[in-house]
Amino acid sequence: MHSAAVEAFDLWITASRQHLSIPSPTILNTRDLDTPPVSSEIEKPNSTYPTMNSGMDSKSPLENPSNTEFAGSTSSRPSISSLQYKASAGNSIKEVAFGDSGSRPVRYGSRGAESEALSTSQKEINEEDARLVYINDPGKTNERYEFAGNSVRTSKYSIVTFLPKNLFEQFHRVAYIYFLVIAVLNQLPQLAVFGRGASILPLAFVLLVTAIKDAYEDYRRHRSDKIENNRLAFVLVNGQFEQKKWKHIQVGEVIKIHANETMPCDMVLLSTSDPTGVAYVQTTNLDGESNLKTRYAKQETLLKINEGKFSGLIKCEKPNRNVYGFLANLEIDGKLLSLGPSNIILRGCELKNTAWALGVVVYAGRETKAMLNSSGAPSKRSWLETRMNYEIITLSFFLAALCTVVSVCAAVWLRRHRDELDYIVFFGKQEYSTGAAKDYNYYGWGAEMFLTFLMAVIVFQIMIPISLYISMELVRVGQAYFMIRDTQMYDEASDSRFQCRSLNINEDLGQIKYVFSDKTGTLTENKMEFRCASIWGVDFSGGNGASQNQQNGYSVQVDENIWRPKMSVKVDPELLRFLRMRKDAKEDNHVHDFFLALAACNTIVPLVVDTSDPHVKLVDYQGESPDEQALVYAAAAYGFMLMKRTTGYIVIDVQGDKQRFNVLGLHEFDSDRKRMSVILGCPDKTVKVFVKGADTSMFSVIDRSLNMDVRHTTEVHLRSYSSLGLRTLVIGMRELSATEFEQWHSSFKAASTSLIGRAALLREVAGNVENRLCILGATGIEDKLQQGVPEAIESLRMAGIKVWVLTGDKQETAISIGYSSRLLTDQMTQIQINSNSTESCRRRLDDAMAMSDNNTGGTSGAGSALIALIIDGTSLVYILDSELEEKLFQLASRCSVVLCCRVAPLQKAGIVALVKKRTADMTLAIGDGANDVSMIQMAAVGVGISGQEGRQAVMASDFAMGQFRFLVPLLLVHGHWNYQRMGYMILYNFYRNAVFVLILFWYVLFTCFTLTTAITEWSSMLYSVIYTSVPTIVVGILDKDLSRNTLQRWPQLYGAGHRQECYNNRLFWLTMIDTLWQSIAAFFVPLYAYWGSTIDGSSLGDLWTLAAVILVNLHLAMDVIRWNWISHAAIWGSIIVSFVCVVIIDALPILPGYWAIFHIGKTRLFWLCLLVIVVSALIPRFVIKVLYQYYRPCDVQIARETEKLGNQGELGAVEIEMN
Amino acid sequence: MNAIGAASSGGATAASDSSTTTKKNSKKPKYSRFTQQELPACKPILTPGLVITTFIVIGIIFIPVGLVSLFASEKVVEIVDRYDDGCVPRNYSNNKLAYIRSKLTDKSCTRTLNIVKPMKSPIYIYYQLDNFYQNHRRYVKSRSDKQLRSKKGESETKLCDPEGVSANGPIVPCGLIAWSLFNDTYKFKVKNKVLEVNKKNIAWKSDKSKKFGSDVYPKNFQSGGLIGGGQLNSSIPLSEQENLIVWMRTAALPTFRKLYGKIEEDLQANQQITVVIQNNYNTYSFGGKKKLVLSTTTWIGGKNDFLGIAYVTVGGLCLFFAISFILLYVVKPRPLGDPSYLSWNRNPAGHLN
Repeated sequence: MHSAAVEAFDLWITASRQHLSIPSPTILNTRDLDTPPVSSEIEKPNSTYPTMNSGMDSKSPLENPSNTEFAGSTSSRPSISSLQYKASAGNSIKEVAFGDSGSRPVRYGSRGAESEALSTSQKEINEEDARLVYINDPGKTNERYEFAGNSVRTSKYSIVTFLPKNLFEQFHRVAYIYFLVIAVLNQLPQLAVFGRGASILPLAFVLLVTAIKDAYEDYRRHRSDKIENNRLAFVLVNGQFEQKKWKHIQVGEVIKIHANETMPCDMVLLSTSDPTGVAYVQTTNLDGESNLKTRYAKQETLLKINEGKFSGLIKCEKPNRNVYGFLANLEIDGKLLSLGPSNIILRGCELKNTAWALGVVVYAGRETKAMLNSSGAPSKRSWLETRMNYEIITLSFFLAALCTVVSVCAAVWLRRHRDELDYIVFFGKQEYSTGAAKDYNYYGWGAEMFLTFLMAVIVFQIMIPISLYISMELVRVGQAYFMIRDTQMYDEASDSRFQCRSLNINEDLGQIKYVFSDKTGTLTENKMEFRCASIWGVDFSGGNGASQNQQNGYSVQVDENIWRPKMSVKVDPELLRFLRMRKDAKEDNHVHDFFLALAACNTIVPLVVDTSDPHVKLVDYQGESPDEQALVYAAAAYGFMLMKRTTGYIVIDVQGDKQRFNVLGLHEFDSDRKRMSVILGCPDKTVKVFVKGADTSMFSVIDRSLNMDVRHTTEVHLRSYSSLGLRTLVIGMRELSATEFEQWHSSFKAASTSLIGRAALLREVAGNVENRLCILGATGIEDKLQQGVPEAIESLRMAGIKVWVLTGDKQETAISIGYSSRLLTDQMTQIQINSNSTESCRRRLDDAMAMSDNNTGGTSGAGSALIALIIDGTSLVYILDSELEEKLFQLASRCSVVLCCRVAPLQKAGIVALVKKRTADMTLAIGDGANDVSMIQMAAVGVGISGQEGRQAVMASDFAMGQFRFLVPLLLVHGHWNYQRMGYMILYNFYRNAVFVLILFWYVLFTCFTLTTAITEWSSMLYSVIYTSVPTIVVGILDKDLSRNTLQRWPQLYGAGHRQECYNNRLFWLTMIDTLWQSIAAFFVPLYAYWGSTIDGSSLGDLWTLAAVILVNLHLAMDVIRWNWISHAAIWGSIIVSFVCVVIIDALPILPGYWAIFHIGKTRLFWLCLLVIVVSALIPRFVIKVLYQYYRPCDVQIARETEKLGNQGELGAVEIEMN
Repeated sequence: MNAIGAASSGGATAASDSSTTTKKNSKKPKYSRFTQQELPACKPILTPGLVITTFIVIGIIFIPVGLVSLFASEKVVEIVDRYDDGCVPRNYSNNKLAYIRSKLTDKSCTRTLNIVKPMKSPIYIYYQLDNFYQNHRRYVKSRSDKQLRSKKGESETKLCDPEGVSANGPIVPCGLIAWSLFNDTYKFKVKNKVLEVNKKNIAWKSDKSKKFGSDVYPKNFQSGGLIGGGQLNSSIPLSEQENLIVWMRTAALPTFRKLYGKIEEDLQANQQITVVIQNNYNTYSFGGKKKLVLSTTTWIGGKNDFLGIAYVTVGGLCLFFAISFILLYVVKPRPLGDPSYLSWNRNPAGHLN
């Protein structure tokens, strides 16, 4: 933007110097500026300014001095993205970005890589690193290097590579390798417990399901790639533009893009339909920002191409991920021009408001910045899954113990019978046929013991539940499906659904203890609304009352049409009256200048939009900063309507009178100066500089000798505005004398054309002109709270979640937002820490600790003592990464609310890390801007708000949604459900497999420890895959312990997750004891019932199989809370399917157990056994469950009863409200 | 919360009015009871009534079933005679193995059984082996179902090693199970009148028709140096060799019975039955016991009180629980669904900290 303006200005200068006689296309003439404005004022020498500045800085009048230290961003919306964007436009990214906090090094992993990528843009281009692009000569361009073609591939596999690649990826899971090893072991003849097919079945099934899922996803990517690659674009071939498929576009080719078309690749702009070489692009696809951005073609190429010649050599940096940086040289006719980010249009952008644009391809296909940036969110692991690993290890010990018991017993048996082995039919050391002595597969008891151990591992393998992994994945997909489709989490305004970007951490949502929230755009809407102004010491903050009656607002007649601002602003009638009154009064122009500054001092582009009424056009102000938009709309409402902006001038309709102002120079906002300025050549031939910026930075450049009282009253007003929670800006201006202008102009020109250190030079120039300002006034802009934020915060707090707000805003603003969002209440004791040295921080922390001790100690009986901690970024600089961190954490963990103001993005991550490192509590970070990315990635759960500010936050997040208040359904409802379901499912899966393994184990004790299984190998393989898997998944997806209404009415129920009620050590061991009992019941009842009978192995095996299946399914049925038709179908269906499978297996004559189920099924004994097994196995669990639920009920249980027994619930609700 | 709900639903209706133009593109999830997880569902909770009813119902069902089972088991008349020790001549009692292995010793042995209660026909004759691991892994696997089923599979003896092939070719039926075929025989007399033993239809029909081929004849069976058990008549197809088929259905547990035959005559109480046993089968090498069993049958199978006892126990336990819960609920009741029991209501101060 910056260099763009510079160049445009450059252009204007050259034009006005060289082509004086050529009239400019508009009515107004450049003549206005040919004669530099004269001013009689004599300036002070330049050298005095710095001392003066520093002097003012040190005693900056507003609140506390430490605030100025910190580079939070005040005025324009403090998103780093926009800062970064603007600064990088000046070809130097290093000044801003994350170096913000000065001494603090860039840390916190994920950002590291990116900052490295960013830094590549700063380097001068080395010869060997450069990529040479010959314009319109793709042949020569591509002859030496193999640049990527323009076809893109987002798909991971091709048909050939799918199998190996997909398998390779799947086997990254340790569990899969375990099962693979077991399947391989089973192939050894000595260890072949199961048939080949049966042993591979479960693993194959799991691999297959995952592979099908991956294949389907990849197929969709293939399809979208194909569509993308086959789109058409106009490419210059032999002097003619021809249509070419995107995938055939090469680096070096010249492409013509028409309005509303999408860029096929990254290209350097050569020429556009606009004579000055401007093109407007929309970067929604790239960063989600919907406003238009300007891009420029270089004057030289513009001229040359207009003559029909395409030649030149671009030397540019290697492809990198930095969307906001580009560094290149253009060699054309022997002249070397520098190219910056404003000269390049990236793949995915759309051309708008420009008939056509010509560009040369510099990066294509996967080397485009869009593609390089399209990596997904980093994968996280849920707490439950991490915790589960301990239990898996415990189960491994069980498994090892079982195997050891079996192998030792086997060895002992062999030792005891070693003299008889000759005769025993199974080992027959003698050759049966000949009678000759010969060992038959007997390796001695030691080796037999080892082999038995391995065989036992194979037989008992499902002790480690392989199907659990696939079940968890499916369950998460199902849970995500319901979260996405929840109508309560659909945002009407942005038409966005809830998004699950990471499928691994659904259940963590049920255990969040800390929420770290950004303020602007997250708690607030980031839709700025102009609320009040203080002009020349007069406060105009009405506008809430009768203003609505002029509903049409201000409008302007242009030719036949009426132009009207798109958004109407509530106006202060008094101010309007005041304006009309003063209209002709020339002597006091402060009000006039104030609104002129609002309308002009910005980078807003007005766009004229048609409406249904052909005579009414709407003016839509497009710009990067919502604050600026709000100000321009406000100016328009008061009759200063920005009509047109070109690179050289703007047209403002001043109370019905169109005036043209030449934009002589523009100093962009940056975070050091925290202000911006524009130098206007006015119609009355004066040159004025208008400045707007943050109060702290503005008061340091205001001429203190002038208008003492105005300055003072403005300060008072500012304080009252920010205490209302408004964002404030101060406006100042100065008229430049002719000599001053000349001086500025020459240095500005020199700075803007310099190749090295341009940004620093420009900042210096800006600093020289932005001083001794006359204060005009201040504005108050309201950043409205999002809908439902106070209620949501209330709910979260009641749920026992600590809400921390981290904002770049001023302390007063933050506190007032805190009050309005009910984060802070009057009962709270506030502790504020604003220090600027390590020592004072330590003192403040100690004091605060003592205070909180008193507070909690003294009032513990009386009720809740709430403490709110308010700390600013400067203090955090001294606290984070020092020994004070621990103290801060101690203090903060006692506070129910923590507000951090003026924090930099990296500090946000630091604060999250502060909590995350010290506790096992789950953290959630929510934010909407690029400045929240580090925090979102640091927290256990990152939530992105897909709002006004681009997509970086969403891209980095695990979940994305439209509004802050959706946190309530997300955490309290879905999080609770997900946690409960997942916790239960994991325990159930452990139980389910362990019961089966134990039944196998008991039988082994009756078979000479030789690992015979009465249950057929097919049944034991199908057990966890078919017989019992569907109900777990269905219950894991669909069961609800409480209804949505109950959960939202009593947010405290969320505490179940904090207390880990659904998955903990105690539950695990209880489940295991229960498992032991159930397996005993299931095994020994048939054993004794059939002892000494004619029962054969297969029949008894069938009985055990069915007993186990019915048992585990009924166990699940007993725990299901909500029976809908799907759970009925799944549970009863599973039992039926198991019967069918057993019947099918027994109907295969090839298997030894042929027809067994029909024989045993005919006997009443069989059915009686089943019944008594199920009942006796489940009785202990039932009894304990009943006792627990009745005498030690958890909150969830009581709430469930209340839900069921309705009327009592109403009574309770009233009580709650009284509390 | 209600406020939010109302607001969002209000927003929804407003949007549907204005969405006529953008309807096609709206990403708003479609409402359905399924996607909102609001399917009609039954939500049972364990109320005292339900719990007590459950226990009483189980008790009421189980105790009679248990009693009926016990009664049925009681009705079974069973005579068990262990003969493995008794049938070894006194002079061989220290060297039973030599006795059983020698081809020269006289293996026949006469036993007398007393009929205590009248036995109705059919009376099943079982032999019972104790401590015989027919479920040993090597034993169970040592068979070739393909070979048993049809002539084509004759050479499928891979699984049968070491009893797969003889010098003359594949053994049919191969494997350890067949090789160790039980070969004691029993002859019954009552008052010098021979009791007919019906050895037909003692095996499962399904096995006869599908698993054991009618075209498969024994071949090279027991032709090696070490004889494991009974011989087979090589002129009768396997599907007719029912004693083999019974034997090949390997027992699940180390103590098992196998059907030997049926006596289709009623036996009166106080009758004496003389059994002439050919004691051929070697269980002495591993300390196994051999028993001869005569038993009638009822619906519950053989004589086994376990199931009846289990039912009565479980039923009684349930009744006990029912009574205990009634008492518990009376002594220490808790109103269900009373919000004042919620943790934050019981202890309001503790919650927010």
